[in-house]
Amino acid sequence: MRTYELVFLVDPRVSDEDVVAMTQEYKQMISAGGSRVVKEESWGRRKLAYPIAKLNEGKYVLLGVESDGGKSALPEVEHRMRQNDKILRYLTVRTDEDLKRAASRHPGRVPHVVSHAAAPHADEGSAAAAAPGGEV
Amino acid sequence: MARPRKVFYRRRKVCKFCADKIDYIDYKDTKLLQQFIPERSKILPRRISGTCARHQRLLQQAIKRARHLAMIPFTTD
Repeated sequence: MRTYELVFLVDPRVSDEDVVAMTQEYKQMISAGGSRVVKEESWGRRKLAYPIAKLNEGKYVLLGVESDGGKSALPEVEHRMRQNDKILRYLTVRTDEDLKRAASRHPGRVPHVVSHAAAPHADEGSAAAAAPGGEV
Repeated sequence: MARPRKVFYRRRKVCKFCADKIDYIDYKDTKLLQQFIPERSKILPRRISGTCARHQRLLQQAIKRARHLAMIPFTTD
């Protein structure tokens, strides 16, 4: 079984509902392709380390995907993300091999996988949204 | 007459990841990665940090992934 992590970065001007709708669409594509979505995290609005498309913030979403090898919907999903100009960045990483390797080196130790779910700086995000201009 | 010999102290560098038994370097762990990108945001070389080859490789990969997602900077101007 293969596991993947799919992170994508959405234009902050897209409303939260629309981000949820987009995520839903990708999730459907993944399950329709025979894989399972095992994790979903919304990191909320976060500041970018450098501007992308003149934007200084973005909304991050992470999907954890499990697939049994063979054909998967991920290339299809990536293709869709590439075409969607509301998606500033995306990254798909296969994680099962690295995690397995890590586990074999120190059995019993749980690899430290970071989760940014539920943005702690919600107040900061809304303040920036209220500011005139918002970005640049 | 024995000349006072200058003694060099060199702190033995230990790979942080080996010491902390970290085997999986997560690209999402910005706090951890930040320790290996000094002011110019360049990846800290092994020669300075003492990271072992294996972990430097994993670290490098993680930093590049995090950079792509704009979680850590490429450069600071």
